[in-house]
Amino acid sequence: MSTIMDYGSVYEIAQAVFAAMIDGDEGLLLPWDGDPPVIDDPVVSWVEVEGPIVGRAALTTSRDTAHALARALMGMGADEPVSDDDLVDAFGEIANVVGGNVKALLPDQGTLSMPQVATELPPTDYPMVHELHLAWRGDPLDVVIWLNRVNPEGEI
Amino acid sequence: MIRVLVVDDSRVMRQIVIRTLRQAGYDWEVREAGNGVEAFAAVQADEPDVVLSDWNMPEMGGLDLLKTLRANGFETPFGFVTSEGSPQMREQAAEAGALFLIAKPFTPEGFREVIEPVLA
Repeated sequence: MSTIMDYGSVYEIAQAVFAAMIDGDEGLLLPWDGDPPVIDDPVVSWVEVEGPIVGRAALTTSRDTAHALARALMGMGADEPVSDDDLVDAFGEIANVVGGNVKALLPDQGTLSMPQVATELPPTDYPMVHELHLAWRGDPLDVVIWLNRVNPEGEI
Repeated sequence: MIRVLVVDDSRVMRQIVIRTLRQAGYDWEVREAGNGVEAFAAVQADEPDVVLSDWNMPEMGGLDLLKTLRANGFETPFGFVTSEGSPQMREQAAEAGALFLIAKPFTPEGFREVIEPVLA
């Protein structure tokens, strides 16, 4: 499944989303340099792909970084508080746009779920095809893609 | 002044769409709706000059909103602003009568590229 979507394509999508929606400039979302750290106090946002190809696109970062992302997305000042609702809305929307662009590259189109946000991902049986350890403004942020084709019997 | 109805279940994304319209130079009068059901009611109450709608929303999505508007006699100019811009979705949008589909992430320049020809 990874042959239909290479690592570079996923990274380009993430870079384009962050540049256009959050930073206004490229170069602030970079590959993590060195061994990726364990992300403390994580927040996860994800969307599920449903249809002939099933899967999931997820973003994981620390709660502090998720707050900073929400502020940047909404054009807020560095010290302005972010409500829980806005954090869920903003961080979920980033996963929604990344997932939507990933889905647009798939050879067979299905549907995209509504974005969800939690402190951990629910388990999945889908195979992980790409795990990107990135740094947004120096803070760790992971983008992970799971994909699998459903066979004619409807089985994964 | 052009009156636009921005439809998205994400309040944050509605803010971003409105901000991008301003950055693109469109100082339009803006109303907001959180899904297709709210948007249809808003159009029935006071038809805007244009609808900019997300595709994937709870209650009623953007494509069903467009079809509902057309089925009820509203020919309101309609464009999608959505995270999915696959060829299949663009085809579905055009078949249903949408004027354009702007894929997220978008820029003010991207807005102008698709909106200017429509305004002309």
